[in-house]
Amino acid sequence: MPECPACHAPLETPLACGACGALIEVEGESDPFALFGLARGWELDAGELKKRLLRFGRMMHPDFYAAAGDAARELAERNTAALNEAHDVLANDFRRADWLVRALGGPTESDERQMPQAFLMDVLDWNETLDDARGAAPGSAEIRALDELGETLSSERGEAFVRIGALLTPLPDPGSDALGRLRRELNAVRYLDRALRELKSLRLQHASTR
Amino acid sequence: MGYIELNVLNNETTTVAMGIDLGTTNSLAALWQDGRPVVIKPDGKNGKIPSVVQFPGPNAIPLVGGKALEQAVVDPRNTIFSIKRLMGRGLADVQDDLAAFPFPVTENVRGLLQIDVHGKPMTPQEISSLILMRVHDLACRAMSGNEVVKAVITVPAYFDEPQRQATRDAARLAGIEVLRIINEPTAASLAYGLDRRGEGTVVVYDLGGGTFDVSVLRIEDGVFRVLATSGDTHLGGDDLDRALIDMIRGELSEQLGPDELNDPAFLQAAKLAAEKCKVELSAHPRADLHLMVPDRRVSFRRTISREDFEAAIAPLVERTLDACRLALSDAGLTNSDIDEVVMVGGSTRVPAVLKRVEEFFGRKPHTELNPDEVVALGAAVQAHVLTGGNRDILLMDVIPLSLGLETMGGAVDKLITRNSTIPCQSTEGFTTHVDNQTGIDFNVVQGERELASDCRSLGRFKLTGIPPMPAGMPKIAVRFHVDADGLLTVSAKDESSGATASIEIQPMHGLTDAEVEGMLEASFANAQADFDARRVVDLKAELETMLRVTEKHLTTAREHLDPESLTDLEDAVRSGKHAMTLNDPREIQTVRDGFERATLPLAALLMDSVAKSALAGKKLDEV
Repeated sequence: MPECPACHAPLETPLACGACGALIEVEGESDPFALFGLARGWELDAGELKKRLLRFGRMMHPDFYAAAGDAARELAERNTAALNEAHDVLANDFRRADWLVRALGGPTESDERQMPQAFLMDVLDWNETLDDARGAAPGSAEIRALDELGETLSSERGEAFVRIGALLTPLPDPGSDALGRLRRELNAVRYLDRALRELKSLRLQHASTR
Repeated sequence: MGYIELNVLNNETTTVAMGIDLGTTNSLAALWQDGRPVVIKPDGKNGKIPSVVQFPGPNAIPLVGGKALEQAVVDPRNTIFSIKRLMGRGLADVQDDLAAFPFPVTENVRGLLQIDVHGKPMTPQEISSLILMRVHDLACRAMSGNEVVKAVITVPAYFDEPQRQATRDAARLAGIEVLRIINEPTAASLAYGLDRRGEGTVVVYDLGGGTFDVSVLRIEDGVFRVLATSGDTHLGGDDLDRALIDMIRGELSEQLGPDELNDPAFLQAAKLAAEKCKVELSAHPRADLHLMVPDRRVSFRRTISREDFEAAIAPLVERTLDACRLALSDAGLTNSDIDEVVMVGGSTRVPAVLKRVEEFFGRKPHTELNPDEVVALGAAVQAHVLTGGNRDILLMDVIPLSLGLETMGGAVDKLITRNSTIPCQSTEGFTTHVDNQTGIDFNVVQGERELASDCRSLGRFKLTGIPPMPAGMPKIAVRFHVDADGLLTVSAKDESSGATASIEIQPMHGLTDAEVEGMLEASFANAQADFDARRVVDLKAELETMLRVTEKHLTTAREHLDPESLTDLEDAVRSGKHAMTLNDPREIQTVRDGFERATLPLAALLMDSVAKSALAGKKLDEV
């Protein structure tokens, strides 16, 4: 475990010392797991992550440095921003998986644009259901079909993450085939999220024109 | 010299900071006093300062607040209200408001809004700064001269980056140091002390004069996290009034022509009548809607029942609930997940609003605090935290709208998504599209839409000096940093050369630093009277401290002073006390300077004794 440069106490996060309260200048550390003092991996205890965010947030939030001079305040700003950025990556299943695939040298979404084969046929059907609902009258069959589509998309999303989790546990070797498969699964999740967003906005339009 | 040394010995310097609710309709300040936030109520009134500024003439001192509001009917052309709606906006953004403004609003070449006041263009920032100065002035008086120059200012949760920046600039113009800009609903939950409830999910329903905001907050172990915000920047008490104004205009449309119905004086009078009627209807089942504009032979009187009014505003209330649904859905919650509902804003006194909100959330909302004061009180709590008074509360706020860059095809590449906790940051890699390209143009946008043209452009910048290389080779990392106030800074790094550049974005609807400086100079030159008044307050505060410290030390140091210095000092104390009754800054300054000179021997004596005790027991070569 790294130690505090000021008081040599072991550090839970490289950004600040819980023992002496020192803010620590971190240059170029972007591994969100490291910033949270967690082991790199897919499985993550959400409760523990939240507890750490709150505890670490109290160590370095700029609110507590408002009167501390420009240098300390700016460091508090930077470190809290880094902490929040790391939290956003870790707390979000998609971003956490995406980060791991990149960190292991896997393809980015511009290197690998495909979705899993089995998924493609369904996509055409779903797009059609969404197209039909656009401009359809409230209460029509097209709009009612959105409820079922929403359930299907959500459960597909859940299943995709089960596969992603399995591929990431234990972490695959850099350069292995699993990374390409992971990217294709992630592309599918991106599609599902976009479709779910659109579905939500279609439903809201109908809710507010009631 | 003497004064500085005395100050070293005086450890009682207190930092006082105020909370300011800079509202569309009214503004309000609160201070932390005796362990709790207190609204500043000058002259025993309710403390609300109407956010109205009237300009009597080209060189006359502007009126602010109640006095300005009184002029609204007489001089609508030069009485500026709802200025908050124009902060950080462009002309295209405010088309809906322009019809309701009896003063002309134009846009300069840079997209900055201006209001022509007696031939002089005034920006919304300058007009807001006049309101802030008035608020500040009252706070200074409430503290009897204690310097209050730091403040937490609240803005609607929906305010985007230019609107927040404009608010900050207005404060700068008013000579106020902004400790933090926080969201109004967040401030409200601080005011209710909901951090003490341990754990829970709170909805803050804020129907103010001109804006509606709903926020979903999660509170755990003293940490406030805004899970989601939604709202409508064009929905508030003004719109409830407008429902009644439209009623008047509808009924008078046969008697009056369109010109008269749109006449500024008529509109102002109708607004005041509608507001009065609305307030009465909150307490009584029926109220008179009465309007008279004598010189336009208009007289209108009708009794409005609460049912009439509720029917007229029902669509507006439903719109607020739509926003509540959106916020809940963004937070991934349903009505039944909500533990508490907090009501903010004068319009929540309307019984129909209260009833519908209670029905919607299935629980009785908090209304114990005055809904007009809640936000200012919460801002004062946060000001207390930021001046080191409380480490138990930690407010973690979120950015209300996504920030991104326009990509080649006109789409938006989001770097920071909405509802990210601030401060936050994000870095994105860019490269060149043609061989030997040495510069890249960027358009920074804010908003949720997929196309850059549908989002608000915050400004453009050009990154230059990229070494000539084949297309796609350079690696440019663009970094967005959003600070705890929700304000954006952009920096870029060429990873091949390691060169970094901090980017100054030309603000779209905001002021440049140079413009702010220029306005500050101009306002100092013009507002000599204001300046003098402030100077008197400052000097007296300074003199009071000097008197207190001198008298304290004089009792013990008296016998060590030479008789001449002692006489000088005693004379100085007498004239110092007399100066506390004066009002001319130059006279007080003279006394202060003389006092300072007279205290020099005492200061030297004290410094000497401090040095002696600090060095006691040490040999000369150890010093």
